[in-house]
Amino acid sequence: MAYVATRGGERAIDQSERLYRAGLGQIDAARVDEIRRALPMLIDRVMGEASLYEPDLAALALAQAGGDLYEAVLLLRAWRTTQPRLAIAEAVLQDQLFTHRRISAAFKDIPGGQILGPSLDYAHRLLATDVLRGVPFIPTAVDPASVAAPAHQPSLAAWQKAQGLVADPARTDVAPDDIPDLTREPLLFPAERAHRLQSLARADTGGMLALGYSAMRGYGNAHPTVNELRLAEAEVRVRHPRGTVFSAGRVKVSQAEVTSKGKSGLLELGFCATLGWNEVKVISGATLDLNAPGAAKGSPVEEEFFLYHTEPVEASGFCIHFKLPHYVTFQSSLDALRGAKAATPAAPVKVTA
Amino acid sequence: MSRITAVPVPDAFETRTNATFEALMWALARPGTVQDLPAPGMAGLAETLLDRECRVFCDDPAFAEVITTFGAAQVALPLADHCFLSLGTTIDRLTQVAVGSVLYPDAGATVVAEVGFGPGQRLRLTGPGIETFAEIALTGVAPEFWAMRAALCRYPAGFDLFLICGAQVIGLPRSTEIEVL
Amino acid sequence: MTLASLTKPWEAMSYGFLDASAKRELRRKMLKAIAVPGCQMPYASREVPMARGWGTGGLQVTLTLLKPSSVVKVIDQGADDSVNAASIRSFLSKVSGATETWDTTEATILQSRHRIPEERLRADQVLVLQVPNPEPLRPVEPNMSVARQMHADADYGRLWLILYEQIVRSGRVMQGAAYPSLVNGRHVMTPSPIPRWDVPKLHMAQHLTFLSAGREKRLYAVPPFTRVEPLVFSDVPYQVEDHAALTCHRSGVSGYFMNEIPQDDGSSAFEVSDSHLGIKTIRQAEGAAIRIGPTWYENGKMPQ
Repeated sequence: MAYVATRGGERAIDQSERLYRAGLGQIDAARVDEIRRALPMLIDRVMGEASLYEPDLAALALAQAGGDLYEAVLLLRAWRTTQPRLAIAEAVLQDQLFTHRRISAAFKDIPGGQILGPSLDYAHRLLATDVLRGVPFIPTAVDPASVAAPAHQPSLAAWQKAQGLVADPARTDVAPDDIPDLTREPLLFPAERAHRLQSLARADTGGMLALGYSAMRGYGNAHPTVNELRLAEAEVRVRHPRGTVFSAGRVKVSQAEVTSKGKSGLLELGFCATLGWNEVKVISGATLDLNAPGAAKGSPVEEEFFLYHTEPVEASGFCIHFKLPHYVTFQSSLDALRGAKAATPAAPVKVTA
Repeated sequence: MSRITAVPVPDAFETRTNATFEALMWALARPGTVQDLPAPGMAGLAETLLDRECRVFCDDPAFAEVITTFGAAQVALPLADHCFLSLGTTIDRLTQVAVGSVLYPDAGATVVAEVGFGPGQRLRLTGPGIETFAEIALTGVAPEFWAMRAALCRYPAGFDLFLICGAQVIGLPRSTEIEVL
Repeated sequence: MTLASLTKPWEAMSYGFLDASAKRELRRKMLKAIAVPGCQMPYASREVPMARGWGTGGLQVTLTLLKPSSVVKVIDQGADDSVNAASIRSFLSKVSGATETWDTTEATILQSRHRIPEERLRADQVLVLQVPNPEPLRPVEPNMSVARQMHADADYGRLWLILYEQIVRSGRVMQGAAYPSLVNGRHVMTPSPIPRWDVPKLHMAQHLTFLSAGREKRLYAVPPFTRVEPLVFSDVPYQVEDHAALTCHRSGVSGYFMNEIPQDDGSSAFEVSDSHLGIKTIRQAEGAAIRIGPTWYENGKMPQ
């Protein structure tokens, strides 16, 4: 009973895994530490998609997966499944963010000011090839500004609301326990606002860029203007069982708000936020959010379409599952095909000139 | 790193809830059969199924206290996904039990009640899980309950019923047709 | 109350991998699935240490049911030694202490991808089918929300239409595996990509079947003694694969679903797809005291 292509049982899968891991070699704390320190942007991306903020675990996952992003995200998500839930943090408001970078493309200057913060936006993308010849690249020291930018900034949308430029739906305060949680309930459509934003927050960066870009190019109704983009740190404030609220630490977050003129005559907003600093992801996500209302079924900017298809673990898993044998289904189709062929009288032979 | 070094051993809680679920599962899959629970009463069902993601209604204040320990929120009857009701009297409130919708049949509630098995009202059951028909006899259920159930459960909407007597359970899913004999 | 009182002592892994809250959610949804046979119940579907699409839905159901006295059989395409089946089976036993088996008659829980074993399942057995796509309406309606409304309305006209069109074009229904079937006279379900050969095994069966799609986050069930009727027209009967007359070149059994193995000379050889049935037949012929359970098909026919 042997089928060489896919059978071979436990020994085969064990040896196959060994072969893969042999290529990665020994993984130790030093390697994990080096990954964490050298690749903060990658760590941020993995933590965002895994919806698990723990740089050491993210670095370990990347080490174990040899840098395969989808594998690393799956490792972290599966680990996350096993963890108990101790508390639900308080909601973070924009003007409470410890802001490192905050820019708006909508206005030349904005209340609170444009703060470039750390960015490669205006850098010339030149490889420092000298490094390979033994000359280390030593970053030039930053000259501190004479006056430090304020750590906390108002939201630009607040100013726009005050000006009557955007709709201002009354804020409803929801108890943290009552916020629907995508990791504990299935995503159903039309999705609750919280579910949509949570799904965008843990979406695949590349997938979100592809769909967001399609909307930016014209497969969407609305052209985005970046109203406000922020890279910040957020305080994780939780309530101790004894009642005191305390900070359990800070997490890096990014958020983007994009805007366009809506049919209502007001500005409409699209929003996306994620754990870690990942500008491409939040701008793409906010663009999809902006375009979603009223989108045609099956278009890339329809909520169901983009949320389902940017789920990194589901999409990558299904893609690689096609490597599994499918010979029973194939056999079943073959049978129908042969049955139809046998039942059909032979087609007249075409005579070519 | 894919090695799992020691096989985990189930603790008493895991063993008990696993066995309780198995009884509930077979009770619902074979309506009318009597399944054995690891412990008498409704508390076992509650600890097996309920947590802070559930909303419950319980008309017995003492048992409501027990349910609170599992983290489920106490809500008004129409909002509850699990309802612990006495079916012997005052069953008018049954009309308020969530039955879900044809779009979301899973939003139909699970109703749990303590009744008596044995000589009493005889019922004839047909439907999924039953090869031909099954018969059960119950005490402690108001006579008009069955007509109300039939009127409320417009399949696939409806509620599902677990009847508990001591350490035994009978399941009556909404898919079961019940004839009062 | 302290923060510590909200958590529990550290352990490498919960029993059966899933934590208690994940199990409770699955239990609640599994009960609803039994209560409305064939109706897809949404569930959270947590990540497990396997890639989506590799049986994570079946895995979550099986993990919820497992106890140390469970005996598990896992097959992929009918084979116990298929690499992914071996991987899942070994994970199941490692996280639960359950016993592994290849023998259908010994198992208490059978997790399968794309096949139902040929030996009849008993009233005490649970079959867990892995489901890649739980939506039978997907070929006519890719949008999940629209499809849900169609199920609510029992609006299956477009499914009937594609079957009718196949008959007009090809003289027969061309649906291969995953044949859409009406459950309890109300919900059309996909029986997962099992061949047409296996669908009648779900109809008025002794055993309980769960079908679970981890990636798509839907689970549904076929309780014992539930009607499962493939969609057919009254004048075009349901046709299983034409395998009744094929003989396994290794074990000599015939009258079961076969794998076709292309040969160098242009012909085909066949081997029985239920690999352990083949192994048992061979060992029985060698004189071993092996018991083969009663099979659904007898002499290539499913008794009505």
